[in-house]
Amino acid sequence: MADYARRRSLKIAGIFLLPALVVLFVTTIFPLLYSFNLSFRQFNLAKPFIPRIFVGLQNYKTLLQDNGFYHSLFVTFKVMVVAISVEFVLGFALALLLTQKLRGMGFIRTLFMIPMMMSSIVVSLIWLFLYFPGMGYLNYFLNFLHVADVPWITGENVALYSIALVDIWQWTPFVMLGIAAGLQSLPQEPLEAAMVDGNSRLQVLTHLTIPQLKPILASLFFLRAIDCFKIYDVIFVLTKGGPGDSTESLSFYIYREGFTLWQMGFGAAASFVALIIMTVLITLFIRTIKEEEPRAA
Amino acid sequence: MDRKTPLEKALIYLTALVVGVIFLFPLYIALSSAFKPDIDMFARPPVWIFRPIWDNFIALFTVRRFQDNIWNSTVVATGSTVLSVFVGSLAAYALTRLKHPRMKDVAFWILSIRMFPPIAVVIPYYILLRDIGLLDTPWALILVYSTGNIPLTVWLMRGFFQGVPESLEEAAQVDGHGVWAIFWRVALPLAAPGLAVCAMFCFIFSWNEFLFAFMLTSSKTQTVTVAVMSFWSSDAIEWGRIMAGSIVIVIPVIIFVFACQRFLVKGLTMGSVK
Repeated sequence: MADYARRRSLKIAGIFLLPALVVLFVTTIFPLLYSFNLSFRQFNLAKPFIPRIFVGLQNYKTLLQDNGFYHSLFVTFKVMVVAISVEFVLGFALALLLTQKLRGMGFIRTLFMIPMMMSSIVVSLIWLFLYFPGMGYLNYFLNFLHVADVPWITGENVALYSIALVDIWQWTPFVMLGIAAGLQSLPQEPLEAAMVDGNSRLQVLTHLTIPQLKPILASLFFLRAIDCFKIYDVIFVLTKGGPGDSTESLSFYIYREGFTLWQMGFGAAASFVALIIMTVLITLFIRTIKEEEPRAA
Repeated sequence: MDRKTPLEKALIYLTALVVGVIFLFPLYIALSSAFKPDIDMFARPPVWIFRPIWDNFIALFTVRRFQDNIWNSTVVATGSTVLSVFVGSLAAYALTRLKHPRMKDVAFWILSIRMFPPIAVVIPYYILLRDIGLLDTPWALILVYSTGNIPLTVWLMRGFFQGVPESLEEAAQVDGHGVWAIFWRVALPLAAPGLAVCAMFCFIFSWNEFLFAFMLTSSKTQTVTVAVMSFWSSDAIEWGRIMAGSIVIVIPVIIFVFACQRFLVKGLTMGSVK
């Protein structure tokens, strides 16, 4: 009887889900449908008196024939590859360092947490100050060491790496903390046993530690990839996509087409292509953590 | 396991120190520049020792009326936090207590929403909000930020509710309490630390956000991040005010980091790294 009553009352709890689902529906599915419809129309927000003519697949066709679009995809992936690979190598090394059981390590780890919780706009402005052509601190130090100025944000071949460096500064601690959490959750006995058996530290690391950390590394990787794919704020502050179009990421391309040229229909079409790529990344991420779920529950 | 020799200890500390100094250097530059007069801002060689002045902060709150932006950001962040924590913890409770196999799919669908690229929805948001007259009001940002904050709350609170023993709730059930009473009087108080963590995460994410705030508001509801960008106009970059504003924006973040450090990884990975 009590069991029946409990099941009934739990059904009522289903109503608890409703408010969240309603808000999320209104703020996601509805705008997406709207935008999907818009992507088949010609709509210039600067000329609102012109009707939103249906143009079929024209926007998508223009997009897929635009070199700027492919270039922006290439820029996005280049930033992702550079930033994420450095973040993982550095993050892993720092995690090994900061999980050493020594006094003060906890405090140092806390300090490392500050940048990743800072607004990316503030982070970017600070780095703009450091990079600033002619007067920035980084070039001052280089000159001090008798190295010539580096055109951090004005050099076509350099700017992209400068943007990646900001991401690396802000997010390496995140990767480090994630890996550190993983390291501390590993059972210690097998590692010690392997050491006693005469394996070197490096062997233990590559044959025991890293394979065991795989699920955590995978989910950290996807989180970083998803985040990096959206990169916008850093580029907006540092280079506005320039010099030329050398740092125009996909997000920035959509922004420029949609908001500075007011081609909303075309921008919507580009957004949908971005969404499709994103959905692939998100699906891969969710698949990774789904495997971990039953053990947690 | 192995005892470390003093030399090993010293090496570890030295490495940590070097990395720490390089890492914290940009923050130090921002902090010190905020207290420098404009004339010393780009002095070469840099002025390392100087008498800190408050001029930049005074200009920030008089000429720039930064307090208005702080108010706007606080209204938006608080609004979104209240909405998200309320709606999100209700949903999280339902997701942990209902044993239907579909519940997991719902949870993952909610999670995926958080990861959508903002740029992909900003165009429809802009047009829709303009059409219903909410553009440049706090409501626009409260609603938009909740789209990211609700999934965060749902996933964090799911973990906290899973830690509340169901036997306690069953006991309350036998005593004749309804679902709402059990949620409100039993489950929620036990998960209270979780609520605090969620609230702080939601607040900081809303406080820090730039893209939506920049696109969906103009002068009336300008938030702190948009304001600090506006100190960079076509004729000058007011570095002193930018750095002072940045420091003001970072203060709540630092308080948050020290208060929530144990939950930081969990919050940023939605519990996918334990």
